[in-house]
Amino acid sequence: MKSLKIFCIALSSTLIVGGCSKFIDYDPVEDYQITADLFFTSSADYQKAVIATYSPLQWLWANVVIGDVATDNSVTGGENATDQIGFQQIDDYTHNPINNYLEEAWKSCFEGINRANWLEENKEKLQFSGKDALYGEVYFLRAYYYFELVRFFGDVPLFTERRLTVSDSRSLQRTPKAEVYKQIEKDLNAAITALPATNPQKGRITKHAAQALLGKVLLYQGKFDAAATMLESVIAGPFSLVPDFGSIFLQNGENGPESVFEIQYSNLSPFFDWSNPGRGQGNLAVQVTGIRNITGTSPYGQGWSTNLPTKNLADAYKTGDRRKAVTILDIEAYKTANPQFNITYLTAPFKNTGLYNQKYSPRKGETSGQVELNYLNNFRTIRFADVLLMAAEANNRKATPDATKAQTYLNTVRRRAFGNNNNDITLTSTLLTEAIWEERRLEFAMEGDRFFDLVRTGKAASRITGFVVGKNEVFPIPQNEIDVSGLAQNPGY
Amino acid sequence: MKKILRLSGILLCLYAFSYQATAQNKTIRGKITDEKGASVAFVSILVKGTDIGTSSSDSGSFTLQVPASARTLVISAVGFSTREVPVTEAFMDVTLVSFASSALDEVVVIGYGTQKVTKVSGAISTVKGAEIEKFKPVRTEDALQGRASGVTIISPGSPGAKPTVLIRGIPSYSGTDPVIVVDGSIQTLDDLNSISPADIESVNILKDAAGTAIYGVKGGNGVILITTKTGRKNQKTEISYSGMYGIQEVPNIIGVLNASEYAAIVNEGSVTSGGDLIFKDISNFGVGTNWQNEIFERAPITQHALTARGGSEKMSYFLSGAYLDQAGIVGGAGKSGFQRLTSTANLVFDLSKKFRFLVNTSYVNIKGKSISENAINGVISNSLNFDPTVGLLNTNPNVYGRFATSPNILSEIINPLTQLDNTYNYSNTNKLYGKMELQYTPMKDLTFTTRFGYTYTNIGGKAFNPLAFYGAGHINSTLNADGSPRPGAHNNVSEFATDYFNYVWETFGTYNFKINDVHNFETVAGISQSKNTGKSLGGSRQDVPFNSWSFADISAATGTAPNSGIDLYSWQYERRNLSYFGRINYDYDGKYLASFTARRDGSFAFGADNKFANFFAGSLGWVVSNEDFWNSDLIDLFKIRGSYGVTGNENVSPQFQRISNEVYLYNLGQNAGYTFGNNPTSIGSTIASYRNDALAWEKQNQFNVGFDMRFLKSKFNLSADYYRRDISGLLFNPTLSLYLGTAALPVANIGTTETKGVDITLGYTSTLGKNLKLNTYATFTTAENLVTETNQGLITGGTYGIPGQSITRFEKGFAPGYFFGWKTDGLYQNETDIKNGASQLGAQPGDIRFVDVNEDGVIDANDRTQIGNPFPKFTIGWGLNLEYKGFDFTTFWYGSFGNDVYRAYERNLAMTNKNRMVLGRWTGENTTNDARFPRYSFVDDNLNARASDRYLEDGSFVKIKDLQFGYSFSSAALKKLKISKLRAFTQIRNAFTFTNYSGFDPEIAGGIFESGIDRGIFPQARTWSFGIDVRF
Repeated sequence: MKSLKIFCIALSSTLIVGGCSKFIDYDPVEDYQITADLFFTSSADYQKAVIATYSPLQWLWANVVIGDVATDNSVTGGENATDQIGFQQIDDYTHNPINNYLEEAWKSCFEGINRANWLEENKEKLQFSGKDALYGEVYFLRAYYYFELVRFFGDVPLFTERRLTVSDSRSLQRTPKAEVYKQIEKDLNAAITALPATNPQKGRITKHAAQALLGKVLLYQGKFDAAATMLESVIAGPFSLVPDFGSIFLQNGENGPESVFEIQYSNLSPFFDWSNPGRGQGNLAVQVTGIRNITGTSPYGQGWSTNLPTKNLADAYKTGDRRKAVTILDIEAYKTANPQFNITYLTAPFKNTGLYNQKYSPRKGETSGQVELNYLNNFRTIRFADVLLMAAEANNRKATPDATKAQTYLNTVRRRAFGNNNNDITLTSTLLTEAIWEERRLEFAMEGDRFFDLVRTGKAASRITGFVVGKNEVFPIPQNEIDVSGLAQNPGY
Repeated sequence: MKKILRLSGILLCLYAFSYQATAQNKTIRGKITDEKGASVAFVSILVKGTDIGTSSSDSGSFTLQVPASARTLVISAVGFSTREVPVTEAFMDVTLVSFASSALDEVVVIGYGTQKVTKVSGAISTVKGAEIEKFKPVRTEDALQGRASGVTIISPGSPGAKPTVLIRGIPSYSGTDPVIVVDGSIQTLDDLNSISPADIESVNILKDAAGTAIYGVKGGNGVILITTKTGRKNQKTEISYSGMYGIQEVPNIIGVLNASEYAAIVNEGSVTSGGDLIFKDISNFGVGTNWQNEIFERAPITQHALTARGGSEKMSYFLSGAYLDQAGIVGGAGKSGFQRLTSTANLVFDLSKKFRFLVNTSYVNIKGKSISENAINGVISNSLNFDPTVGLLNTNPNVYGRFATSPNILSEIINPLTQLDNTYNYSNTNKLYGKMELQYTPMKDLTFTTRFGYTYTNIGGKAFNPLAFYGAGHINSTLNADGSPRPGAHNNVSEFATDYFNYVWETFGTYNFKINDVHNFETVAGISQSKNTGKSLGGSRQDVPFNSWSFADISAATGTAPNSGIDLYSWQYERRNLSYFGRINYDYDGKYLASFTARRDGSFAFGADNKFANFFAGSLGWVVSNEDFWNSDLIDLFKIRGSYGVTGNENVSPQFQRISNEVYLYNLGQNAGYTFGNNPTSIGSTIASYRNDALAWEKQNQFNVGFDMRFLKSKFNLSADYYRRDISGLLFNPTLSLYLGTAALPVANIGTTETKGVDITLGYTSTLGKNLKLNTYATFTTAENLVTETNQGLITGGTYGIPGQSITRFEKGFAPGYFFGWKTDGLYQNETDIKNGASQLGAQPGDIRFVDVNEDGVIDANDRTQIGNPFPKFTIGWGLNLEYKGFDFTTFWYGSFGNDVYRAYERNLAMTNKNRMVLGRWTGENTTNDARFPRYSFVDDNLNARASDRYLEDGSFVKIKDLQFGYSFSSAALKKLKISKLRAFTQIRNAFTFTNYSGFDPEIAGGIFESGIDRGIFPQARTWSFGIDVRF
C-alpha cells in the first residue's frame, strides 16, 4: 500500500498547488465592457446619464393618445374592434388591468425614475461646474415621471435614493398620492433653484419649464394661491403666443416662442424595431393618427386612423375659431376643397368620424427609416397658452379671486384664436372658471390633457359616457405588477 | 473470466517454424492467426519484463530476437485478449492461443482512462476506426450516424457543414452539442471537420452519467471520445495509402411548373382575383427552363490519405497526411466546396523506465466556399421560384448580363444563375491542435500524467457583393440595364480574421490495485484547468474597383467614411474553468461492478454566489454469467447494469450590470438617446442589464439501466439501455417587479425538460461455410423530449415566409423545437360551409378551412398549435459486411422515422413559380377537399399561405448511405513489391432514399429550431466513387 500513500500525497499536493480559484473569477473589463462601478468618473458621464433620463419621455407617446380617447374628444377608430385594443377598451370604458399601453406607461415612467435615481445615487462621486444645473434637469424629469404616474394610477411606489436592483423586486408597496405629490413639489422646487432661465440647446429643460410644471402640479392639488404665484413667474418670462395658431404644430414651429416644455422627437436616428415600436427617436402617436392609404399630393402621409376627433369636439368650436381647422382635419371637406391634390384614401374601417387629428398628423417628409416609426413631431407638452389658462384658473379660484387677471389671461388666448377681441369673456366667479375649463378643451384638444382636466374638475362623469365615479378617476395598475409585486389594485378594477 | 475464455474456446495458432540459437540471443519465428485461421496483423509480441518486442506483419508472422533469459512472451492486440505464452525449453513450435470474438476483452476509452468492456457498468457506444476508415466520411460524425445507438445525427448536404448531433435527446434550446475529446484534449463539434478518417483508431461515446460525470459541467450533452492511431514499439514501418475519386450528383429534383403550366396558372390567379390575363397567348411557352437543372451539376470529390506507423526500442510513431477536396453540387467547385489538408504526427518517447512523453500534433488547413442555401432567397430557393418562361441566356446585346432576366418577377426572387455568378466568398482555416503529455510511473500500476491539450484555430475569409443586374425593374438590381450603377448603389467587400485558442491542462494520477486478489480497484483523480478564447476583427468597404472579384479587397476599395464606406467590428471572449475530478471503479472478481465519480467544476461564467458546482455519479453492474450457478451454453455473457448521476451544461455567460452607450439597443428596447431640437441625437448612457450572482449551470440528472449479452458462442451481441434525463436550470428570464424599469432582465436558471428513451445495439458476426465472413449489426435509438417549465416564457425559432412567421418553438408542455401553426380541415366547398364554420376572415369557397382549436368561434392567432415535430421518434441503423475470398461487400442503411419537414421554399408570390401541387387545386365544388390544394388566386384574403400543416410533410426516410464493393488482390507479384494489401473498391454514397417527402432531401440539419425546415436546402449528394487501399 505504499504506492497508495504516494498516490494520495501527490494528488492532494497537486490539488492544493493547482487550485487557484482566482482563475475563474470574472471581471467584465476583460470583455471591454463598462460596468456601473466604472461610471461617473467625468462630467461627460453625468451628461450622458442625464440624456438617458430624458429618453423615456419619448416612450410615453400613448399617454397623449389616452388623454383624448378616454374622453369626449376622440374615439379610437382603427381597423376593427380588436385593433389597438388597449386604446379601444379605454375609449369604451371597458379597460381592465391587462392593457399594453398602461403597462408601457407604468414601466417607462419607472424606468425614467430609476435613471434619475441612478444619478441621485452617484451625485457625490464627482464635483464639476454646472453639476447643479444638470441635476435640476434630473429632478424635473423625476417629477414629470411621478406626475404622470400619479395622474394615471393614483398611489404608486415611491423611491428616490437609488436605482433599484433585482433584489428590490417585490419589496415595495404603493405610497399615498399626497406623499408622492410632496416629493414632486420638492423635486420641482430643487429644479427651479438649480436651472437656468434659458438654455441655448432647444428642448432642454429650463427653470420656467419647472415653474410651469409645478404650477400645474399645484393646480391639480387645488393649491391655487401657490399655483398662481408660480405660473405668473413663468408669464414674466420670455414667452409669447405665436400669432398663427396652426404654425405651432408644423415642423418649423417646434421649440418656438410659445414652447415652455416639449418632448422631443426626431427622424435623424432612423429606427426599425417593430418589437418595441415606441422606443426610438420617432413619435408613434403621429403614425397611429394618420389617414389610411391616403394618396395624392397633399402634405399628409398615411397612417392607421386611430384617435379620431369626435363630432362633439368639432361642434364645440364657435364659428370664427381658427383653432378648429388646426385641431381637426375633415378629410372629405379637405378633399373637396383641394381637388388639385387628387386625394384618395380609405375610410376609417372602425368608429369612423371622418375627422382626423390635424395637430399631430403624419406629414410627408417628416419621417425616415421604417417610416411608421420615425415621425419627428414633438409633443408641445406645456405651451405658454397653457400657462396662461392655468394662471387664469388659479387666479380665479384662489382664496381671494382676481377675476380681472383671470379674464386678461383667458382673453389673451381667445384673441389669438379668433384673431380679434370680439369674443372676449367678461364672466366672473364659477362661470368664469367654467369658461376657462371650456377654453382649455378647445385650446388643447388632441394634446392629451382632456381626461385629466375632466377628472380634476369633477366633470368626467357628466362628459364621458361610461365613466364610473369612484373608479375611473384613475387607471388600473398593470396586472403583471399586481401579480409579481402584490400591489393593491385601484378600486373597481 | 477463465470460464468465458473457455466458453469462447476457440483456438488460434502460432506456428514456430524454426529457431536459431546464438550465444546470447535466440530467434523466435511465428505466425498469429485468429480463431478462423486468418492472420492477425499488428499484434504486439513482447518479452515479458523487457522492452524487447516486435509486432506481427500483415500475414500474421513475426520474427523476434530474444535474449536467452527470456521466459515468457506477452502477446497483445486490440480486439484480442492478451496472452502470456511460455517460451519453451526447446524453442520449438511455440503455440499461441488467442481468443477472438473476444470483444469481451476489448477495452473502451473512458474519461481519463480505459476500461475493459466486461467491467463497464455505464452506457457507452463504440465505433471502430476500421469502420470509419472504410466509410471515408468527410466529417467524423457522418460515420457515427446510425452506427452508434443513442446518437441522433442530422447531416447537412453542404460540403463540410456541421450536422446536428444529439446524444440522447434534446436537453435545451441551445448548446446541445456534445463535448469532443480528441486524445484527451477537449474540442467542440465544430472541430470535427478537421480529422482525417484514416487517423481514427476508435470513437467511444459516453452516454450516461456514469461516463459523462467526470466531465462535469461540460458533460451534460454526452461526450464523444476520439482516439487517434499510434505506432507500436519495435514495429516495422508500415505505410498505408488510401485514395478515392468520386462524382457527386443531386439524387432528385422537385416538381415545379413548366413554362406553359406556369403561364396558365398565373392567368388563372390573376383572373380569379379580378385582374386581366397576364399572358395573352400561352401556346408558345413550351416547357421553358427548369432552373434546378441549371444550378445543380455533377461535382467531383477526391480523398487521399497516406499514413506511416512504426516504432523502435524507445519510441513509436504514427504519421499521416491526407487531402480531401469536395466540390459542391450547387454551382460546382468555383462556388461551393470544401478542401482539407491534414497532417498528423503522434509520437511516443520512453524517456526512461519511469518517464514517458507523448506528443500529438496535427496541422489542418481548410478552404471553403459557400452559396446561400436553405434561405428564402437562397440559390436553391430561387431555382424553385424563378420564372420558367425565360430562356437561359441573355440574348439582347443592349442589356447587361450573361443570363436572362424576367419581365414578370421584379422583387426578391432573382435568376439563380446570376445569383451564383455574383456569389464570391472564401474562408481559409489554419488549425494546429494536439497535446503534450508526460507520464511518470514510479511503480507498477501507479501513473501520474500531466497533459496539455490545445487547439489553435485561425479563420480568415472574404466576401464580395458586386453590383448586379437582375432585371430592368427588379428591386434587387444595383445596375441599370446598360451596366451603369444605379444612383446610391455600391458594391462591397467584407473581410474577417478570427483566432481561437483553447487549452486544457490536466494533471491526474491513476492507481490500480487489488485486495485479496478479488477486490479490484481502478482509481483516478486529478485537476483540470482550461481556457477558451476567441477574438475577431472584421470590416467591410464599398466601391471595389471594376466591380470585380479580382480587386475585391479592403485595401483596393475606395469607399470612404463617414457614408458607411468603411465599417469595422471586433469581438472577443474568454472562458475559463477549473475542475477537480476523481473516480473509483471497483469489481469483485469480475462479477460485481461498481463505480463512483465525482467532479467539482468552477466556471468563470457562474455568478459570484455559485462559483463551483459538484457533480456525482454512481453505477452498479452484475455480470450474471460469471456466477457459478450460471451454466448456459447459449448465453456467454450476461451483464445487468444501472447508473445514476448528475452532470451539467455550462450554457451561460456572465451577467453583469452593463452600461449601454447606444441610442438604441435592439430587442432590449433600451433607448439611451435623446434629440434636442434639430441637433443630431445625443447619445446617453444607462444601465442596460442586471447582475445575477446566483447564475448557475444547467443541471442534468440521468438514470440509466441496461444489459449486455453475448450468445451463441458470442456470435450475437446485444446491448440495450433505457434512460431518463431530467434537466433543470435552463436559462429564462425571471418575472420581476415592473417598477424596476426596463433594463434587460438577467437570465436565471428556470426552465426544465425531460427526455427518455431506449438505445439498442444488436450485432452478429460469423463465418458461413468456409469462406464467407459475415458481420451485421443494427442500432435502434429513441428519444422522447418534453419541455416541462419555462416560466411562461417561450423561445421562438425558425421562420417561414416573408414577413417571417415563427414556426418552431420551445415551450412548456411541448416537445422542444416543435412545429407551430394552424391546423387545416379541408376546404370550404361553398358559402354554406363558410357560414356554418367558425368565423374566418376572408374565406371564400375553395379556401382552406382552419381548425378552431380553442373553440371560440373565431379563427385567429390563438388557434395555432402543434402541427408537427422536426425530430425523429426513432432512428435505425443497419450495417452489413460480407467477405468472400478476396471480395467484400458493405452496405449501411439509416432510417429516421416520425420526423416532419416544413416545406418553406415556396415563396407564394403572384409571379413566382409554383410546386406542381397547384395543378391539383380546387376548381369548383367538390373537385377536391384536400387542404394542400386550395383554389389558386393572386389575392389570398383567407391567408391560405399562412403557416399551417398544409406545408407539413412526413419526413421519415430510409437511406442507403453506403454501398461498397471491394476486391483484395493477393499474389506473389504483390509480395515481391512488399505490398501486403491491395484493395480496390467502388462505393455509392447516399445510393437511394426511400421517403414520402416531396423535396430534395428530408434530412435537414439545423439545431433545435432550424432542423426540418426546408427553405431550399443543399441536398446530400449521391456519390459514385472508386478507390484503392494499399499497405506496404
